[in-house]
Amino acid sequence: MPTSLPQMPVPALKLTAQRLGTATALALLLAPVPLFAQDQPADASQTSGQSDAQSSSDSLSSDSQSPDSQSSDSQSSDSQSSGSQNVSVAGSSDQENANRPPIPLVPEKPTWDSFHGQLNAQKYSPLDQITADNVGELEKVWEYHTGDISDGSGDIPATVWSATPVFANDTIYIGTPFYRLIALDPGTGEEKWSFDTKSSREALTQPVLKNRGVSYWEAENPVAGEPCQKIVYMGTMDAQLFALDADTGELCKGFADNGVLNVNQWNDTHAEWPLSVLQPPTVVGDHLMLGWAGMDWAYEQAPPGTIFSLDAQTGDLEWTFQALSDEMREKSGTANVWTHMSADRENGLLYLPVSSPSPNYWGGNRTEEAPLATSTTALDIETGEVVWSRQWVHHDIWDYDINSAPTLMDITVDGEQIPALVQATKQGFLFVVNRLTGEDVWPIEERPVPQGDGTVEGEVYAPTQPFPTKPAPLLDQSEKPKIWGLADAVGGGQCSRLWDDLWYEGMYTPPTTKGEGALTYPDSSGGVQWGGVAFDPESQTAIVNTSHIVQYVKLYNREDYEEADSGSGNESGFAPQKGAPYGMRLKVAMNWLGMPCWEPPFGELVAIDMHTGDVKWRKPVGASQQYGFFMPERWGSPTIGGPAVTAGGVVFIGASMDAKLRAYSLETGEELWEDQAQAPAVANPSVYEYKGRQYVAFVAGGNTILKDQVGDQVVVYALPEE
Amino acid sequence: MSQSRSFRAGIIVLLVASLAGLAVSLYAYFTPLTGVDGTLGALVVILTSIALVIMTLVLAPLSCRSGRVALRVLILLDLVGTGFAGLLLHQWWLTAAMVVGLIGLLLDMASPAASKSPAHS
Repeated sequence: MPTSLPQMPVPALKLTAQRLGTATALALLLAPVPLFAQDQPADASQTSGQSDAQSSSDSLSSDSQSPDSQSSDSQSSDSQSSGSQNVSVAGSSDQENANRPPIPLVPEKPTWDSFHGQLNAQKYSPLDQITADNVGELEKVWEYHTGDISDGSGDIPATVWSATPVFANDTIYIGTPFYRLIALDPGTGEEKWSFDTKSSREALTQPVLKNRGVSYWEAENPVAGEPCQKIVYMGTMDAQLFALDADTGELCKGFADNGVLNVNQWNDTHAEWPLSVLQPPTVVGDHLMLGWAGMDWAYEQAPPGTIFSLDAQTGDLEWTFQALSDEMREKSGTANVWTHMSADRENGLLYLPVSSPSPNYWGGNRTEEAPLATSTTALDIETGEVVWSRQWVHHDIWDYDINSAPTLMDITVDGEQIPALVQATKQGFLFVVNRLTGEDVWPIEERPVPQGDGTVEGEVYAPTQPFPTKPAPLLDQSEKPKIWGLADAVGGGQCSRLWDDLWYEGMYTPPTTKGEGALTYPDSSGGVQWGGVAFDPESQTAIVNTSHIVQYVKLYNREDYEEADSGSGNESGFAPQKGAPYGMRLKVAMNWLGMPCWEPPFGELVAIDMHTGDVKWRKPVGASQQYGFFMPERWGSPTIGGPAVTAGGVVFIGASMDAKLRAYSLETGEELWEDQAQAPAVANPSVYEYKGRQYVAFVAGGNTILKDQVGDQVVVYALPEE
Repeated sequence: MSQSRSFRAGIIVLLVASLAGLAVSLYAYFTPLTGVDGTLGALVVILTSIALVIMTLVLAPLSCRSGRVALRVLILLDLVGTGFAGLLLHQWWLTAAMVVGLIGLLLDMASPAASKSPAHS
């Protein structure tokens, strides 16, 4: 139990601590600390774009907010050779899907059986036993340690565990970064069974061992006495997808090759690395929608961005979707989907957050149109055909992967009910469109953006990029962020000098070889990460956590790169972009002590009224921490992970550097409860009901993007039993 | 209160506070889920608490006036630094212990005997 003498809150002292914000610099002096770990988000494959690029003429100092807008092009896409290929049809399952009732967007019963809780990715629970009034009484009911943990100091790479506990079949299912699948009793945490895939513990595609949990399927009409009428799935770094009977933990012999599908059989590009399945498949009816992750920072060419639709019981391939054309694949790749997806079964649509093409920071080899890259793309669930697509970054040369499932919601705007979706992005934009057509809910404008400085050979630049008019950007990227005076003073003017040596003309300032490079605010660290947007359908309030992180990217020609390369971390440091004429370096802007060069807050929790698109409230979330020292909470923390929201008017979230789990009032944003976890909880929590009691569960696994702290803890809370 | 008792009380309060601070620091470092377990910050306050205990024990019998003044300055810095670190580590009881230690130090400094020979001599 974490309740310990030293942890007992003493409000007066806490207040004093908060007021001693400035003095904290002393602590930083005493205990130099990079506020942020050297690592940045790395999940995966990122890509690049294509584009309609004409190289440009006048470089517009793009104050990105200035609206000279042209109207946005909503592309209904049928992309030539990109698109879907119907490989086979899994006979009756299509018909079964069509007959199934739709999953209501305002749920009638609590469901938390997937990475984002529900297929609409709302992360919403209608449970209301825990309320804003009583959440302060929450107590830890049980915790479970998997033992699958590594800090990277030995032979095994560090673990990054971003799993959401899945509640289904009266069981909690989790996958681990050592690629074991474990079933737990939801009321006690007692282990029911576990299965070891015996997968390689090598960092084949990522710098660390990653896992984002499991997914769950059950037959609508189960056959009595037959195994595998309920199945849990988990993928591995070495491209294997396992299917286990949810009751027994035994392999489902009827699925692929005795329960194991070799996903790498579809890697037709090169053998340097496998199609890692770190994100479990998205289960849509009787289909498994499967993406993959790779190494697109390292290589110019990568396998095509592809979704595989599989039969949930047999693993048979039904159709594939490819985001890039066959011609483009010869020199580029990725534009993959490495995170979870969402779906509207009633309307037969699957929504893909598509990442950028490779190489990530140079697009001279992919100057043609690639309208499905860095997009939200809606596919027909049964055929994989593109229904509509909206590209959020044209000719992406910033690694702005769309990294979270769009959140589906019915909203009322100006008295009209709209079937909408919200797509959060790394840039801190929230794009809101009609989920049936892809059309704007609030205008999304094409605005001129900065063009190159002439130093990057072969590059072309998109003349405009889409900017949402509402909701307002979660962070102000229109001008260079202000320098944090404290960090600059402690660094002896280091931040000012760095700022002077960074090029920035607003959002979408392209990479350069000059000086220290181009400032990006933010880059791959987000903005918003894979936790995405939560939504309360009753009040029509969207909840999202965002990070404020300044990074800078520089391109090096081959010769200079070989000299400069000093290694890389989790999405930071140097990456070769083999095959491209430039290697790249991406860093977080910090002084020599590791203090951020830009002003706090470093992360916020934001509530948006979706009737109007206006911000209801925004609060710094969590506390930054380094070497154990907590910074004042008013400075906030960068976040990885996401929220869950309940009908009790409570928002639950971990995600912050200080590894605390918190509850906030949905109405006001006031912090109502907190507890200490073993490591940052870098996925969404789950909320479930078991035997009449409401629980909230977190996985505290840590992520080196945030800081070098790892965990193997599953921790579950509930109100005291009467 | 006699001068010797006042002097002794200050030292005793300081020593007890130092030992309490050490106990809290050890707890914070070694106990899971304190939020700072295994961190450099918690290790640093263990070391500064140990230093505080040692300096207090050295101070008690010290008869050299300049030595006592120097040691008190070091103890004061240690108390303030450890107390502040306690705030940043959210180890409120560590900070409380340092406040008590500060009171002990002030008692010791306020004692006329403090500038003379040690009470037990």
